[in-house]
Amino acid sequence: MSAAAASAMRILPAWMRSGRVIIGLLIVATVVACALFAPWLAPHDPEEQDLLAQLLPPFWQSGADPLYPLGTDALGRCVLSRLIWGARVAMTVAVIAAFGAMILGAILAHVAGYLGGAVDWTISRAVDVWMSFPPVVLSLILMTGLGAGVRNVILAIILVDWTRFCRVLRSEVLVIARKDYVAAARLVGFSHTRTLLREVLPATVPLLITLLSIEMAVAVIVEAILSYVGMSVEANIPAWGQMIADARREIHHAPWGLVLPILAILITVLGFNLLGDGLRRTLDVRLNQTREG
Amino acid sequence: MHLGIVKMIGRRILIALPILGVVSVLLFVVLRLLPVDPAAMSMAPNATLEEIAAKRIEMGLDRSLPEQYAIWIGRVLQGDFGTSSHFRRPVIGLVVETLPQTIELVALGIVVATVLGLAGGLWMFHVRGTYQEPVVDFGSTLLMSIPEFLWALFFILLFGVALELLPFVGRLSATYSRPNATGFLLFDALAVGRIDIFLDALRHMVLPALALGIAFAPSIMRVLRSSLLDVYHEDYIHQARLRGIPERTLLTRHALKNAILPTLSLMGVQFGFMFGGTLLVEVIYSYPGMGNLMVDAVRNADLPIIQAVGLTYAAIVLVINTVVDALYLVLNPKLRAAA
Repeated sequence: MSAAAASAMRILPAWMRSGRVIIGLLIVATVVACALFAPWLAPHDPEEQDLLAQLLPPFWQSGADPLYPLGTDALGRCVLSRLIWGARVAMTVAVIAAFGAMILGAILAHVAGYLGGAVDWTISRAVDVWMSFPPVVLSLILMTGLGAGVRNVILAIILVDWTRFCRVLRSEVLVIARKDYVAAARLVGFSHTRTLLREVLPATVPLLITLLSIEMAVAVIVEAILSYVGMSVEANIPAWGQMIADARREIHHAPWGLVLPILAILITVLGFNLLGDGLRRTLDVRLNQTREG
Repeated sequence: MHLGIVKMIGRRILIALPILGVVSVLLFVVLRLLPVDPAAMSMAPNATLEEIAAKRIEMGLDRSLPEQYAIWIGRVLQGDFGTSSHFRRPVIGLVVETLPQTIELVALGIVVATVLGLAGGLWMFHVRGTYQEPVVDFGSTLLMSIPEFLWALFFILLFGVALELLPFVGRLSATYSRPNATGFLLFDALAVGRIDIFLDALRHMVLPALALGIAFAPSIMRVLRSSLLDVYHEDYIHQARLRGIPERTLLTRHALKNAILPTLSLMGVQFGFMFGGTLLVEVIYSYPGMGNLMVDAVRNADLPIIQAVGLTYAAIVLVINTVVDALYLVLNPKLRAAA
């Protein structure tokens, strides 16, 4: 742990200097606060329908009702409250799924890169099989098998996205495992587990953190996609993708209903990406970014 | 063709086929976890329990899982993906109808992504070291954060609803009927000489293709920029500059040739993923492609379609990867010698 702590101390000043990291953290913290304090922040119950106040515009347009600052949807539900509560689903999925995918992917990557041989071959072929599906297609197939619900969305994202970690980390571990200090640790009599945890893992942590941040952005998007097609949370839980799908039907009468959840997703994803991008630069991680839609 | 390239493609195919086999097993097993009865799904709602039981035996559902898989894969290899329980039609027909639509959309998306990506990459490289760089840099992060389905919705709002410039529902205006030949609508329209149909179909594709292309462009921009930066650190660029070669020639004749290789290899990977990106874009634009078919099938728990479409997606990705590897080899003399 001391090695990890020491390298964390060394990178701390660089973090502070990165505008991207600061802006990213601010955005993420705001969304997380919305998610945590939704019951106190939201002016209305997100499911409460006011059938006398359907499709009200947001406050800056004429005909707005001060009771509903960002207007209402087709069922007269408060858009602001639904956005705030929607942050809950988005953040729950983003955080748990990203950590899950990281843990699964990182374990397999370290084992594959460190042990090599047949283990490496098997894990690498598994990655090949997974990567032969577009991720969205694979998560839809998994959701068909698992059924709707937040827990299954998280599970599906973990089962799809571990490859993002595994692929990148494995090649990093391959390089590190051949370093002299790793060989030295083995010579001193460290076990494989101890070498991996004490010598290899600290060296891959910067890459791990960067990937984690980017994965959270991916998870927010995947959850939105799944809830747009009605495969994510149950209908009585507000989610951004679902709000978009509802608003899509009223696009001619109430375009703002569509714009607001789009902005919510965009800002959240931007926050995680800025954080990831800033970390990548300050931690000096080499990474090929690809969009895996 | 160079023998090394042929060998290398052969090797890729030898790797790809077993992968496709494993994919088919995975698809079969995952979808068997579903708590629905494929036999009951495939029959009319008023079927009796005896009829369903008979159907189960007919479909081989009373046998063991490996046996069921063997039956299924045997039929798939003969082009029989079963019958859709929702549409009551052979699945293969549905796939053959929708796949060309998706391919046309992706092709157009690739054109958009390539043009925007390369132009953007050159521009990002051009402003390096100037006060514009951080702005452009931030802009590229912002663009990377917008997935294709948000672009799709945004374009509907802007060009469809606000400006009313372009259609955003379906594949063709209702006044036209589609000419039947290859299934590729743009191609068929030209083949029968109907420029009006061609243009109408193209107008329907502009927004979805733009959404796909613009979503995939930023990563191309970034890779091109960073490969150009790498190349400009090389000695030969420095020496060419000392020889008095103008900057423009330096870029087009010397640097770009080498910087384009990593960019192409990234683009290959991206275009495989673009097929996945079409999924929601097609749903949003009610575009009758394979993505729309897939999402419908998922909503209706229409197993034969999900299996067929899933397998098709995997096959497409593997084909694209093989083609990209081959292209990479053709374009890169260093690797060609090694192969």
